[in-house]
Amino acid sequence: MKAMFLFAGVKWVRGCGMWAVEAEDLRKSYPKKIPLPFRRVEWVEAVRGISFRVRRGELFGLLGPNGAGKTTTIKMLTTLLEPSGGTARILGLDVRRNAREIRRRINLVAEGERTLYWRLSAYENLKYFARIYYVPKDEERERIERLLKLVGLWERRNDLVMNFSRGMKQRLAIAKALINDPEVLFLDEPTLGLDVQSAIFVREFIRRLVDEDGKTVLLTTHYMAEAERLCDRIAIIDHGKIIALDTPKGLKKLVREEETIEIRAKNIEPEKMSSSPFKMAVIERNPETGVLRLRAQVDEEELPKLVEWLVRRGVKVLSVERREPTLEDVFIKLTGRGLRD
Amino acid sequence: MILAVVEKEFRMFFRYPLRVISSILVGIVFLLQFVYFGQAVLGGRYSALLEASTGMGDYPTYALIGYVLWWVSVSPMEAYVWGVRRELQRGTFETNVLSPSRLTGLLFGLALSWLLMDSALMAVVFALGAALFDIPVTIPLLLKSLPAIIASLVAFLGFGFIFAGLVMLLKNIGPFAQIFEFAMLFLSGVFFPLAVMPDWVISLSKLFPLTHSVNIVRTLFAGGGYSDVGSSLLWLLALIPLYWGIGYLLFRWAERTTRVIGYGGY
Ligand SMILES: Nc1ncnc2c1ncn2[C@@H]1O[C@H](COP(=O)(O)OP(=O)(O)OP(=O)(O)O)[C@@H](O)[C@H]1O
Ligand SMILES: [Mg+2]
Repeated sequence: MKAMFLFAGVKWVRGCGMWAVEAEDLRKSYPKKIPLPFRRVEWVEAVRGISFRVRRGELFGLLGPNGAGKTTTIKMLTTLLEPSGGTARILGLDVRRNAREIRRRINLVAEGERTLYWRLSAYENLKYFARIYYVPKDEERERIERLLKLVGLWERRNDLVMNFSRGMKQRLAIAKALINDPEVLFLDEPTLGLDVQSAIFVREFIRRLVDEDGKTVLLTTHYMAEAERLCDRIAIIDHGKIIALDTPKGLKKLVREEETIEIRAKNIEPEKMSSSPFKMAVIERNPETGVLRLRAQVDEEELPKLVEWLVRRGVKVLSVERREPTLEDVFIKLTGRGLRD
Repeated sequence: MILAVVEKEFRMFFRYPLRVISSILVGIVFLLQFVYFGQAVLGGRYSALLEASTGMGDYPTYALIGYVLWWVSVSPMEAYVWGVRRELQRGTFETNVLSPSRLTGLLFGLALSWLLMDSALMAVVFALGAALFDIPVTIPLLLKSLPAIIASLVAFLGFGFIFAGLVMLLKNIGPFAQIFEFAMLFLSGVFFPLAVMPDWVISLSKLFPLTHSVNIVRTLFAGGGYSDVGSSLLWLLALIPLYWGIGYLLFRWAERTTRVIGYGGY
C-alpha cells in the first residue's frame, strides 16, 4: 500500500514536474539553402548540444555574445523552430509532439521592435492577440485593461503603436506576452536598445513576475550586469555550447579575486588585443578621453608579462589594480576574450 | 479567430480613407483605359465578333465583368505574396505562429479579409462603371449571379492558397506573382475573347477558375441561364476541391520546411 502511494507520488511529481523547461543535448543546424527534395545543401551548426533545466518559479538567464545561439535556442523551446537533434520539454510536454498545448501555456517576447502591429493601437493589438489566444470573451476587456495599466500604457491605449517610443513598444510587447497568463515566459534580449529608464522598468517588472506571480522566466541577454543582478541561475553560452551554468555567485567562484586585474590605458588598437596570448578583454572605452578599461585574468607571474606585452605594443598603461570579480571576468577566464569581441 | 484576423486587417486598411479612395481611383482609371482602348479598336461598343464567340456583344459590359472578377480573383494571391511577406519580414508573422491558433486558419483569415476588401472596392468600381457606360443592371440579375460569384470566390481562395506555401518558403515571390496576375488577364479572356488565342492557350485557360467564372457571369448578364453554362459550372466546381487540396498539401510541406529554416525574413 505504501509502495503504491510512493509510486503514485513519484508519477505525480514526474507528470506535473518541478521542471518548467528541460533541454537535453539540443541541437540546431540551419541549411544554407532551402532544402528542396533531392537538393544537396550545406548546414551551419548554430546550437551544438546544450542541456539544462529550469525549475518552476525560477528566473533563468542564457548569457552569451552575438551569434552564440541564444535566439535559436529560445525559438526551439517555444516551438517556432524544429530542433535538429536532442529533446526539449516545456512543462513536461515535448516541443515536437505537443506544440499546440505548449503554445497555449507559454509566451514569448521576441527580439526586435516590430513584433506587434504598428498600424493598430495598443488596445487593438492586445484585443487581436486575446482573440487568437482564445481568451474568454467575458474576461477580455478586464484583462487588457489590467495589463495595459500594469505596463503603464493605459492612458495611451488608443494611440497607434508606430507613434510609441522604443521603450513603450517593448512594454506593450510584454503586455501581449502576458495575454494568455503563461506559466513560462520567454524573453529574447528584453532590454536591447532600450534607454536606461525603460531597461530598469523592464528588469524590475520581470523580477516581480517571478517573485510575486510565481511565473517561470527564461531570458537571454548579452549584458553581463543584467544577468548577474537579475537571474537566479545563468547558463553562459558560446559558439552554440554551454560553457558554464550556475548561480551568479557560484559562477563568480570560478575566478579568483587575486587574479582579477583591471588596467586603465590609452593608445590601444583593439584589433591587436584580440590576438593576445592572455585572457583579457576591453570592457569599456571612454570616447572623450580615449581611456580604455581592460579586464584580465592573470596570476602573479603572468601580470608583469602582460604589462610588458602591452607596453611593447605602444600602449600607455595608466593604472593596474585588483578588482572584485564580475561575470565578465568569468567569461574572459572561460573563453580568453570579452563578450563583445 | 478568423473573424479576429478580418477585423484586424479591416482596421488597418480603412484607417486611411485616402488609401481607400486612391485604390478605387486606380481601379477605375485602369478600367477606363481598357474599355476605351477596346472600343477604339472595335470602332464602337458593339462587336459582332464578340457576340459570335462569347454570346455577349456589348464591349463595356463584357470588359467590366471580366475586369471586376479578375481584380477580385487575384486578391487572395496578393494577400499572401504581399501581406504575408510583409509580416514575415517584420516578425509579426512569428508572433502569430506562436499562438495556439492554427496557422491555416490565420492565413485563410488574411486572404478572406483581402478578398472582402477588394470585393467592396470592386462593387464600387462596378457601380461607377455601370453608370458611366450605361449598362443596365437589375437587382434580379445580380441575385441570379450571386451563387456563381460566391462559388468563384471560394475557388479564388483555394487558388490563392497555393501562394501561401510558396511565399513562406521562397519569401520574395511578389514580382513573379505580378507577372502571373497579368498573364491571367490575357489567359482568362478578360478584355478580349479567348477564341482568338491558339488552342493550347484555350486548354490551359480552363485551369484558371477565373475563365469559367467570367464566362458564367457574362452569360447570365446576356440573358442566359445556368443551364447554358453547364460545362463552365462543372469546371468551376471541380477546380474548387482541386486547388484547395493542392494548396493545403503544399502549405503543409512548406510549414514543415519553414520550421527547419526559420520564419525570419533574413
Ligand atoms: N534563419 C537562419 N538561417 C541561417 N543561419 C541562421 C539563422 N538564424 C541564425 N543563424 C545563425 O546561427 C547562429 C546563431 O544565431 P542566433 O541568432 O541564435 O544567435 P544569438 O545568440 O541570438 O545572437 P544575437 O545576440 O546576435 O541575437 C549565427 O551564426 C547566425 O548567423
Ligand atoms: Mg538573438
